[in-house]
Amino acid sequence: MSESQYKVEVHNLTKNFGSLKVLNDISFNIKKGEFVCIVGPTGCGKTTFLNLLTRIYMPTKGDLLIDGESADPKKHNLAFVFQEPSALPWKTVEQNLRFGLELKKLPKEEIDKRVETIIKLMGLESFRDSYPHQLSVSTEQRIIIGRAFAMNPDLLLMDEPYGQMDIKLRFYLEDEVLRLWKETGATVLFITHNIEEAVYLAERVLILSNKPTTIKEDLAIDLPRPRDVTAPEFIEKRQYITDQIKWW
Amino acid sequence: MKKEKEELFLSEYERRELLQSRIYRVLPVAAILLLLLLWVAVSRGEASKFPSPTAVWERYLKLLDRPIKNLGLFGHIWASLQRVFIALGAAWVIGISFGILIGWNKKANALLGPIFTAFRAVPPLAWVPLVTMWFGIGEFPKVLIVFVGALMPVVVNTQAGIANVQKEYMDIGTIFHANGRQMLLEIAIPSAFDAIFAGIRNSTSAGWMVVLAAEMLGGKSGVGFLIVRGMDSGDYPLCLLSMICIGVVGYLLAIVIQFLERIICPWTAKKSN
Repeated sequence: MSESQYKVEVHNLTKNFGSLKVLNDISFNIKKGEFVCIVGPTGCGKTTFLNLLTRIYMPTKGDLLIDGESADPKKHNLAFVFQEPSALPWKTVEQNLRFGLELKKLPKEEIDKRVETIIKLMGLESFRDSYPHQLSVSTEQRIIIGRAFAMNPDLLLMDEPYGQMDIKLRFYLEDEVLRLWKETGATVLFITHNIEEAVYLAERVLILSNKPTTIKEDLAIDLPRPRDVTAPEFIEKRQYITDQIKWW
Repeated sequence: MKKEKEELFLSEYERRELLQSRIYRVLPVAAILLLLLLWVAVSRGEASKFPSPTAVWERYLKLLDRPIKNLGLFGHIWASLQRVFIALGAAWVIGISFGILIGWNKKANALLGPIFTAFRAVPPLAWVPLVTMWFGIGEFPKVLIVFVGALMPVVVNTQAGIANVQKEYMDIGTIFHANGRQMLLEIAIPSAFDAIFAGIRNSTSAGWMVVLAAEMLGGKSGVGFLIVRGMDSGDYPLCLLSMICIGVVGYLLAIVIQFLERIICPWTAKKSN
């Protein structure tokens, strides 16, 4: 009974490549509609973790459940946003948003409805018929984020989506993703190495250790929103996480 | 007062820019004028072996009056173009399909790629003797030779475009669980449109060149035929007139293709605005 409240359950997840231990006995749960950030030093195995979720790799030990079932990208609805913005250049903004839904062969009315919602939420009305090359990088990244949310994913995975962006753009898109998260009630797993970003976004932050990776700490961030990056409590959390990553 | 001065300064800069852009428009015209001047210069005098502009012009007027083999100049141009269009149509359909096949399917590429690469090295005109022996000297063999010449660039470019789809686009397909067919139709082919169009462009110019050569080898119509006729009867103004027509038509074909590309692939007009 208590299990069903979790959207994602990770049980004792372990992955070795031969003698190289990458992930070591990771367990955590994500509630439905939760926004969880994972922070950790570079090379801490987060790519491996993602590839386990998408079943590119199978775990050595343990398992990964979505809605109580072993994760299966064919059955479960996972959506991704990666670091590099990658809209399809031969499709207009609207066609890009429709793309994933059309591949899934959803009924046209459903696609129309979802795409309209996303276009409105993301303020893309005036770009609807533009091609990606006519847009700025941040607008292109908005398309990618919108495209992911339009899938109504069981779980939205974001892998350092703002890694390449300047501060202003990052702040702007962080607020954007928070708004979408609230409006759609999606479950989000957001990977970043930017600690400030994690504290700003997350309800919970999972701090990873170096290889073999374990969860060093599962930290709740209960600051009120909208969060103020200069507030003492904010800085305290940020400093705390930074120290956790620094000292092994 | 001060503001006006600033505007004046700006406009001076802008005027220079405007002048620059005008220079680029004037340069092509200047080149043509220069060429004409050169033409006049080399064709002057009784002993000149170069047909003069007036001679070519008069030959043009005479051709309007007295058609060759029942066709005027434009009739002959059209005869050549018809052959090119038929051959191009076939070459595009077959070439793009074949290019997609060997670009997408590794086994097909391993099987057919080497043969194709060897055939590619054979110039289209080398086919003339065999094609003439098989099909005589009617319309079909000419079209066939043009087809062979136009096919190669389409296949090569299409294959390259399909085989080298950027990984990030394929990743998008993977993320959304596209199946193999969707990968090809929704990702690979659209992303290769640039390359395919490069093939179409090359095949058009190749086709236009090969048709003239094919016509020079026998026939009763076409611009290539006009050149041979001019050569055989010592009518050099006719040769030069035909050459000018070949150049102009080739140029127009290139413009038409460019225009088509803009309509069919609007996203390739990169960052123009």
